[in-house]
Amino acid sequence: MLQLTNIDKTYRTSSVETLALNNINLNVKKGEFISVMGPSGCGKSTLLNIMGLLDEPTGGEISIDGSRVANYHDKELARLRNEKLGFIFQSFHLINDLSVLDNVEIPLLYRKTSAKVRRELAQEALEKVGLSNRMKHFPKQLSGGQKQRVAIARAIVGRPEIILADEPTGNLDSVMGNEILDILQKLNDDGATIVMVTHDDAMAQRTHRLVRLFDGTQVL
Amino acid sequence: MLRHLLKLIWNKKGSHSLLIIEIWASFMVLFGVLSLIVYNLNNYLEPIGFEYKNVWVVDLNNNQDTTAIAEKTTQIMQRIRSYPQVASASRMSSNTPFSANTMNNSTNYQKISSMADDYYTDEEFSKTLDLPLTAGRWYLPEDRVSKSTPVVINKKLQEKLFGDENPLGKVLGNNDSESEGNQKTTFRVVGVVDKFKAKGEFMLDNPAIFKLMDKNDKWNKLVLIKTKAGTDATFEERLVKDIAAMAPGWGIEVSYLTESRKNRHNLTLVPVIIFLIISGFLLTNVALGLFGILNLGIARRRSEIGLRRAMGATEGSVTAQFLGEMWVLAAFSVILGLLFAVQFPIMNVFDIAAGVYLTAIAAAIVVIFVIVTLCAWYPSRQAARVQPALALHEE
Repeated sequence: MLQLTNIDKTYRTSSVETLALNNINLNVKKGEFISVMGPSGCGKSTLLNIMGLLDEPTGGEISIDGSRVANYHDKELARLRNEKLGFIFQSFHLINDLSVLDNVEIPLLYRKTSAKVRRELAQEALEKVGLSNRMKHFPKQLSGGQKQRVAIARAIVGRPEIILADEPTGNLDSVMGNEILDILQKLNDDGATIVMVTHDDAMAQRTHRLVRLFDGTQVL
Repeated sequence: MLRHLLKLIWNKKGSHSLLIIEIWASFMVLFGVLSLIVYNLNNYLEPIGFEYKNVWVVDLNNNQDTTAIAEKTTQIMQRIRSYPQVASASRMSSNTPFSANTMNNSTNYQKISSMADDYYTDEEFSKTLDLPLTAGRWYLPEDRVSKSTPVVINKKLQEKLFGDENPLGKVLGNNDSESEGNQKTTFRVVGVVDKFKAKGEFMLDNPAIFKLMDKNDKWNKLVLIKTKAGTDATFEERLVKDIAAMAPGWGIEVSYLTESRKNRHNLTLVPVIIFLIISGFLLTNVALGLFGILNLGIARRRSEIGLRRAMGATEGSVTAQFLGEMWVLAAFSVILGLLFAVQFPIMNVFDIAAGVYLTAIAAAIVVIFVIVTLCAWYPSRQAARVQPALALHEE
């Protein structure tokens, strides 16, 4: 479904060259729940950004559903991000000036979806994460766990095939963290493919497969 | 997407209120300046109605001389008309073309009354200023014997007093008709001219009435002289010398209508230019303010931009979103401004045609949106170029 072949990523400034990823090979299969672990700065988020088509690798190839995306233009990449991928971030990235419902609708704005359908799908997604009673609230009125649930609803509202979660429990206490992981596990049980970056061994143990990075190199 | 933008802006109305006020104030200033420009431009595009080139104005000032003024003036007129360089000469009241003097009076026909600019002239006036008649004729020497003073009116006054009715031969009155006793206080229309914009191209075509000056009039001491092409200062010198010899002690001053016209234009254009400079300065400040606010806004909203890119926004849609936000803000401001601006045509403020205000409103809206687009374009493009991975990592 999502295949990375010999992926390298180097950050260059005028004086320094930093190797962030070195020859990463990863094949994410449909329905898998994969965790990516490693110490800070080992390239986990870079890997997730490259998988999410938010960043370009310096070398190697990315294929989604068998199609190589190397030569895709901005519009095609945006369409893939919108239709195939859902993102969950450690710091939620909710827009404070929009209500919970409007935040969840955002991915659907970039499709030709009517306002009525957008509303219905967003309500459905919020029900799935148990936040149907907070639709009119604004992010500042929510707890950390609730914010992350809104972010999950936003990630799944467009029914993407792959969910990329960058330390989704990193800003939450263990109880909230487990609740979030329960939701992700439920989504996986319902058929979603999930790649999750985490620091937490216990969380990683609950996934199907573990990918370990060290200094940009895949060690497991 | 529009509904999304409206919500986003409505929810941030507090922080946007200053910007809305700033754009609103710019709209109002622009509306004022553009109304002035449209008004003057509309007038300018209308023909002036007469020919001013090669026309001189001779001011005969009798100073302390009080004897036989009318006779001397008649002799001077005969002398002036006898020069081969003179095509035509006419006496006129002090409100000569492009002068600062204005005379007006209420003119009545039956129960209809209209204010009209009054000009006292003689039989040669239409020839001197090449003033074409659209109906009837200019007054003739034999008209002096008639019971009513012969007058020529312009089309504007004709429309006001007569509508579609033929004005020729109709008798008019004015406010002084009942009080002037034995003088001729009624006026018979003998002709109609199209336009007479005495204060120049920028003047509105006001209702005007030309009345035949009394033959022995001694108060109106201005003479318009239409000179033949090629007449130079040598003739002017001779003319002044000859008149001075005929009327010793009189002051004689010659001026040219072309020069008076320039001065009159300056009187109109200088305030417009001053307003334009002020509004230009204001708009530049607004533009810089908008540019700065947008740049700052984009710096603060980098993570939102990253998020939208991650959710499927293209570079184009990020640009469109930021431009759209500014357009929505500008639209709010313009709607607020329209509430004030539309009162001008509705209430007929300054007696200016509604079309002038409506054109100014339309032009002000266009200018505001052009400025907003120009100011928002570069920051919006910058926003679109934000690297999503970097922007998401920054928060």
